[in-house]
Amino acid sequence: MRRRAATFGKYALLAVFLLFFLFPLYWLVLTSVKTQAEQFASPPVWWPRSFTTDYYAGLFQSTTGWLAFNSLLVAAGSTLVALAAGTLAAYALSRFRLPWRLNQRLGHWILSTRMFPPIVSIVPLFLIMRGLDLVDTRAALVAAYSVFNLPFVVWMMKGFFDELPRELEEAALVDGDSRFGAFRRIILPLVRPGLAATAIFCMIVAWNEFLFALILTQTEGALTLPVGIANQVTQYEIRWGAMSAAGVVAMTPMFVFALAVQRHLVRGLSFGAVKG
Amino acid sequence: MEPQRAKSVTRSVQWREKAFPYALLAPALLLLAALTVYPFFYILHTSVHRLTPAGETFVGAQNFLRLLGDPFFYRAAVQTLVFTASALTLEFALGLALALLLDSQIRGRALWRALLLLPMILPPVVAGVTWRLIYNPGFGPLNGALRLLGLDTRRLTWLADPIVALASVVLVDVWEWTPFVFLILLAGLQAIPEEPYEAARIDGSSPWQTFRHVTLPLLLPALLVALLLRTMDLVRLFDSVFILTQGGPGFATETLSLYIYKTAFRFYDFGYAAAASLALLVVTGALSRLYIRFLTREERA
Amino acid sequence: MTIVYEEVSKRFGRATVVDRLNLSVEDGEMMVLLGPSGCGKTTSLRMLAGLETASGGSIYIAGRRVNDVPPRDRDVAMVFQNYALYPHMTVEQNIGYPLLVRRAERATIRGEVGRVARMLEIDPLLERRPRELSGGERQRVALARAVIRKPAAFLMDEPLSNLDARLRLQMRGELKRLQRELGITTVYVTHDQAEAMTLAHRVAVMRGGRLEAVGTPTELYRRPANRFIAGFLGSPPMNFVPGEIRDGRFAFEGGAIALPSGQTVAAGPVVAGFRPEAARLAAPDDGAFRGTVYVTEEMGAESFVFLECAGQLVTVRAEADFQAEIGDVLGVTVPSSALHFFDAASGRAVGR
Repeated sequence: MRRRAATFGKYALLAVFLLFFLFPLYWLVLTSVKTQAEQFASPPVWWPRSFTTDYYAGLFQSTTGWLAFNSLLVAAGSTLVALAAGTLAAYALSRFRLPWRLNQRLGHWILSTRMFPPIVSIVPLFLIMRGLDLVDTRAALVAAYSVFNLPFVVWMMKGFFDELPRELEEAALVDGDSRFGAFRRIILPLVRPGLAATAIFCMIVAWNEFLFALILTQTEGALTLPVGIANQVTQYEIRWGAMSAAGVVAMTPMFVFALAVQRHLVRGLSFGAVKG
Repeated sequence: MEPQRAKSVTRSVQWREKAFPYALLAPALLLLAALTVYPFFYILHTSVHRLTPAGETFVGAQNFLRLLGDPFFYRAAVQTLVFTASALTLEFALGLALALLLDSQIRGRALWRALLLLPMILPPVVAGVTWRLIYNPGFGPLNGALRLLGLDTRRLTWLADPIVALASVVLVDVWEWTPFVFLILLAGLQAIPEEPYEAARIDGSSPWQTFRHVTLPLLLPALLVALLLRTMDLVRLFDSVFILTQGGPGFATETLSLYIYKTAFRFYDFGYAAAASLALLVVTGALSRLYIRFLTREERA
Repeated sequence: MTIVYEEVSKRFGRATVVDRLNLSVEDGEMMVLLGPSGCGKTTSLRMLAGLETASGGSIYIAGRRVNDVPPRDRDVAMVFQNYALYPHMTVEQNIGYPLLVRRAERATIRGEVGRVARMLEIDPLLERRPRELSGGERQRVALARAVIRKPAAFLMDEPLSNLDARLRLQMRGELKRLQRELGITTVYVTHDQAEAMTLAHRVAVMRGGRLEAVGTPTELYRRPANRFIAGFLGSPPMNFVPGEIRDGRFAFEGGAIALPSGQTVAAGPVVAGFRPEAARLAAPDDGAFRGTVYVTEEMGAESFVFLECAGQLVTVRAEADFQAEIGDVLGVTVPSSALHFFDAASGRAVGR
């Protein structure tokens, strides 16, 4: 009897939690399909009498589509750069015994750059980009996000490389391959799942990023989706419908991605400190 | 055998072998150095200058002295502290409760875990926008629900209310990041083997005692990881506060990052912003060193 | 191809793992490096492969000094303890890999892989992946990958230690046949003295980074140069009894044994050794000394009786149906010709 009460209590508590965490998302999606009248109704309309797809249609006509494209381009570009540079560095740190405890020291330095408050680096970065005449370009964002994601790529991939036995490369070397050949033919194929997971993480971070995009971009040439959404809010009139539709568009890919990397999520979030 | 030629050939081969790892490291290190080391020195440099669109002049420690006497700076620091402490408390309480819930026998666990990811994974800007919707005093569902319960919500303006605004922003952060804490604690819980629990059961320990003496100590590493990471993120938080209140009403929700942002990009007082940045950097630097030291201990173990 | 270690040392920081190793391996010979873990045998092998660089000395393969030559140019093939098969490749691709990286023609590769797979009887497995194979099959694939290149030397790092006991015995025989048939110089590392005894042309016993002795298995077994080697080879191990040489006899706590004729050992403290199969059990008063049965092990084809005498445990081989109870008192005879003597302090063999 007491056990049943406890189990009921558990599920009740879980339901409350789920309600708390999921209701706002429900409300966002709801707002994006409500008619304007129902959006501003008081008492609020919990389940609309009529649905409208106007706001989503409007997205295609507005600049939001272009912003999403920018976000995608920047995310993909920075992911590629971070993945390439980071994977090579991770392999070096994992496989080679460097002098002066460099393996540890470099690894820690790389990690510490991730802990840098973005707001601190934004001013000099802005001035650098202005000096290079790169303000308001996607290239600037790609560079900035690559640096953002590099530490993460290094630590994630290093973890994956560490899991492979050293004998594999040694066998390849004795069999006659070069160092880089062994890396390319033997090691890389074996860390493919790790690469995929890391890539997805990088995409999520780049896609969600706001502050750098806010400072480094001004016009639609380079504006990304998060900034576009923010801009809707800080104007005189808040177009809730369009904004929530854009919000839904912004968040959906992230959910799909997150589900894809669920297995590696904990390891990624904690920089390898906790094995998920 | 031609020893001379052999020697020079093998020396270049040796050199190439030795240089290989450094060649691998070079792109990443150069990229990082260019975009983190240089800005750091730039900040140092700027913090002892007065830098505005008008020009740059050396002012020594003036910025720092000004900072020490600036009530807005203190307010931002205190608010950041309050914000961080309350968000941490709530996130860990809720996160731990959730983790314990989902660690026990519950059906559909994988589904709940996946659903609970969502608040953490969406762009913080979208989270901000969503909660602005919810907090809206007129047509937002929060006040709407309260009205259904019979409460008078005319005074409840949440984000516009100087007294409640900070708490409202804390709530949004809790909503967004409790899943993060939950995930890490859950992984930590699931890593604890069965044996200590079985031993405790045989020894006759009550659930609370088991929790205190078995679960908590074994959960400590994961707790510390989550604690350090969240603290670092909270101290430098920008995105959601910016979207929700822009630091207002007045300065009620101005955290350090917002303070620095406004100093730099509203008042264009870059030198002063740099000095304030250093203050923030000191804090995050200390925290990150703690985290790295923690990681090293784990590596050694 | 001959292999020579000349004053080869390896240091890791302050620890000397291999200390001035001097060893030469004849062409076509199977040289087994035998010793307990940590004795430097694996490091010596890896230096030969080029996976570790020597801190001092020179290594020669086929007369060429290879210290600065990378592994791929040394023309050696290696079989690792864990086989180190490439998990994402099929058996065929694994075996063909050494030829692939040497830019051989695809048709040539396929032909050679087939030939070698047939030789090692794994041709039905060519399409499988390593994780689908049993331990013995994986081992053969590793061997095939080594054989396919016809290298100057085979290097084997405890290849049998991950197999179960039965498979190990079977593979031992097959390895020996393979090596003798191909006639390729082989350096084989193991801690298992039985493997060394059965496989080697010659055995190099190592301890603490130093070479203790080199010789054929029989030589090392019959005439061990020191106590360590004597105790390491042979199972069950040799019995050691401390005592001293006095008045031409070996005197110990349980009695005394006359020295064999023609053998002179200097007077003083020694340790005498004799193998379990050299001793005989007899009635309590008929032996050179007596002992109390501690435990017996019936192995089916023979038995081993462990006796406690003078505070020590002594093993004696007996017939398969030998009966003895724990606590029985028995006598032990040891022919004096079967005795080995070792200096009590240095452990070096004395007397012969």
